[in-house]
Amino acid sequence: MLVNVFLRGGADGLHLVPPVGDDAYYRARPGLAVKAGEALRLTDYFGLHPDLGPLHGIYQAGELAVAHQCGTADETRSHFSAEDYVNHGGLEGGGWIGRFLHRTRDPEDGPLTAVSIGSGVSDALRGVAAVAMRSLEEFTIPDRDPALRGQLGAMYARAGGVLGAAGASTLRALERIESVRKGGGVSGGVVEAGYGDDGFSGGLRLLARLIRARAGLRAATIELGGWDSHFAQTTLTSGLMPMLARGLAAFRRDLGGLMGEVHVVVTTEFGRRVAENVSAGTDHGRAGVCFAMGGGVRGGRVLSDWPKGGIGADILEGPGDLPVRMPLHHGLTAVLKRIRPEVSGEAVFPGLEPGELDW
Amino acid sequence: MGFEDMKTTETMTRRGVLRLGGGVAAGVVLGGCGKVRALWPRRGELKPFAVPGGEGIGPVAHVLNRLTWGPGPGDYERVRAMGGTEEEAAAAFVEEQLKPEMIEDGYARAACAPLEAIRQPVPELFEYKPAQLDDELTRRAVIRAVHSERQLYEVMVGFWSDHFNIDASKLDCQWFKCADDREVIRKHAMGSFREMLKASALSPAMLFYLDGRKNRKDGDADRPNENYARELLELHTMGVGGGYSQEDVMEAARCLTGWTVTGREVKFGIGRVYFDARGHDDGRKVVLGAEIPAGGGAGDLDRLLDILMGHEATGKFLAEKLCRHFIADEPPSGAVAVVAEAFRASGGGIREMLRALFGTEEFRAARGVKIKRPFHFVVSALRATGSVTTAGGGVKRALRVMGHVPFHYPTPEGPAVEGSAWLATLLHRWDFAAKLTDGGIGCSRNEPEKLVRCAGGVGGVLGHCFGRRATVEEVAAAESVAEPVALALAAPAFQVY
Repeated sequence: MLVNVFLRGGADGLHLVPPVGDDAYYRARPGLAVKAGEALRLTDYFGLHPDLGPLHGIYQAGELAVAHQCGTADETRSHFSAEDYVNHGGLEGGGWIGRFLHRTRDPEDGPLTAVSIGSGVSDALRGVAAVAMRSLEEFTIPDRDPALRGQLGAMYARAGGVLGAAGASTLRALERIESVRKGGGVSGGVVEAGYGDDGFSGGLRLLARLIRARAGLRAATIELGGWDSHFAQTTLTSGLMPMLARGLAAFRRDLGGLMGEVHVVVTTEFGRRVAENVSAGTDHGRAGVCFAMGGGVRGGRVLSDWPKGGIGADILEGPGDLPVRMPLHHGLTAVLKRIRPEVSGEAVFPGLEPGELDW
Repeated sequence: MGFEDMKTTETMTRRGVLRLGGGVAAGVVLGGCGKVRALWPRRGELKPFAVPGGEGIGPVAHVLNRLTWGPGPGDYERVRAMGGTEEEAAAAFVEEQLKPEMIEDGYARAACAPLEAIRQPVPELFEYKPAQLDDELTRRAVIRAVHSERQLYEVMVGFWSDHFNIDASKLDCQWFKCADDREVIRKHAMGSFREMLKASALSPAMLFYLDGRKNRKDGDADRPNENYARELLELHTMGVGGGYSQEDVMEAARCLTGWTVTGREVKFGIGRVYFDARGHDDGRKVVLGAEIPAGGGAGDLDRLLDILMGHEATGKFLAEKLCRHFIADEPPSGAVAVVAEAFRASGGGIREMLRALFGTEEFRAARGVKIKRPFHFVVSALRATGSVTTAGGGVKRALRVMGHVPFHYPTPEGPAVEGSAWLATLLHRWDFAAKLTDGGIGCSRNEPEKLVRCAGGVGGVLGHCFGRRATVEEVAAAESVAEPVALALAAPAFQVY
């Protein structure tokens, strides 16, 4: 199954995975650059920000891969447009994960096939019935009146359309959740996995529970927002990076052997400008990073096409942004094909040049 | 009377006297933990009321759906009586709501009287804890939406709060959003868009939220902080694809350099917005093809806003948003053109745009096609049941679980506008409907059985909630459950308007 972690706001790839071997990086960011001595080694050229420490071991174990210079064809540098482009997988309506699930439809598919952890369903899941969930406990209605549920079911069935579908899928999800809560089908014990006590870790922990319960989950989305570091970037991201790393590491520990079936991709709507701005931050850019974890990924590598002379002004585009060399949809296609080899990239990302990243 | 929440000072300050006075006038007791136990003047008791009986949603039920946060008991009857035919009555109601200053609103004002921290002048806001300000701000938004007679005005306050979205939890916005709510949004919600735009650009909360206060050019190498300039063009005026380039964003950011605000780093005079000429990029600028000569100083802001107001994309973008809000998720192009023309002719007059919009055939015809967002659902449920609410924990929890707490949307584009994007919250709406009608929402009192009687029975209360005569199946369903009002609020017909 697929888990998409979305870093909302435009996460700075040059900060998360600094090109420590590149002098131009240090020239462009006298204040912000991560010192070579402090970064954790990924390759001779690239480091990992120390605040992402818990991911380092996973990388070294070959279960995490990084794609740098990764992005989309959207050039607006607008959160709204870029996130739309990422969620829709191009200029199509509907979501890329929705299209994937639709193409690989299972007779077993039910209301818990696609889940967004949070209060709203991600646009990436558009096109299939999906539920939004923050906790199992809140996913119920008081049952003082058993007739109420039945009558609501009938009314929504009669309503039809988008409301009818929402009503039907809510009722089915309710039934399945209640059986999960009662403990039906939860295999394995709960391990002390080391989650943080923030919302992101909480969401991943809930996800792990649903996965272990074999509740039919095939795709899930979860967000970690706040990456729009126009100012005080070091301070702003120093809260987020540990949350991201700790959550993902705990999730992997929690799932144990199941991690081989769970394919995690960490994406963002765009990377950020190479040069730092006057507020010790960076403005909207183009290429960033994408991570893939678990599910048999060929990890322990950083995929990139870094310019030989470094990221000097001569190779940057527009107001000084890193050009995209690894199309995001190629990275996603590769992961989707590992889950379902029969699916075609063109079907999930219509209108985009097909291809797969080598991870 | 409990003075437990006057922790900041022991002496009877001006603040304390006001609190005492306001509380007594409203008949409110402040309990421990700042909880407001309402003893305020009782709203008129429920009396028998007429309900819509048409086969579909008629003109009166339609304007009630669109110009208010949802009809309450007796609203249909009052508005129907405003004209001979349904169309005439609906038109009279529209005219009434277009002049909010002429509408008496004593009850809502009294209900909000205990929320006095958020009325403080800007520097004094900092004497309060953000949690209290946040609580009061949310409560006021809900209480006014539920209890104000100036309903169209409150609908517009909601609209503009989304348009000029500010996440009240960011930095000093925790204190400043209160001021933004009253000085920017509430002051201009049915006034002049140009004035609201300038007020927003110079709002302390906005200067913090979109980093405008950090946008300055001290040295030659400094690049402006584009955050606000981008959203000004993309979200507040011209819209994505409105025809501006990346260059235009940067030039706009240059115009705005130097405007800043004092935050918690100063001891005195917090929240002072001022223009620091030393931080201003005073060179020549070109925005959207229009030249702004060098040396304009603080005047560059007005020049920039005038250029944006004059660009045809702005009127069109605002017209589209208004038509999306009031007509349909796919705004009909005819109505958009009419509203955009009203924008141009009136120089951005919001009332003029609204009057033009409500006069279109597209508006009159688009009945029951929009889906409520969670805040709308919660408020309309409180209104439909005739609830008296202090918007406390139960209501706030429901909004939080549904992801639609006012002023808490993290990114500038504001929460999704189409109701269909919110259908994942259906379960929580059913939960709220069930709890509201059996006393499970402590801060909101209502009497479901009396409501049914006053509406003339189960069929009547469904008609009241749905804005039309209930179908045979709907009545049968409501008669077979223990709580017909809960079913009415949870039903598909109550999710649309």
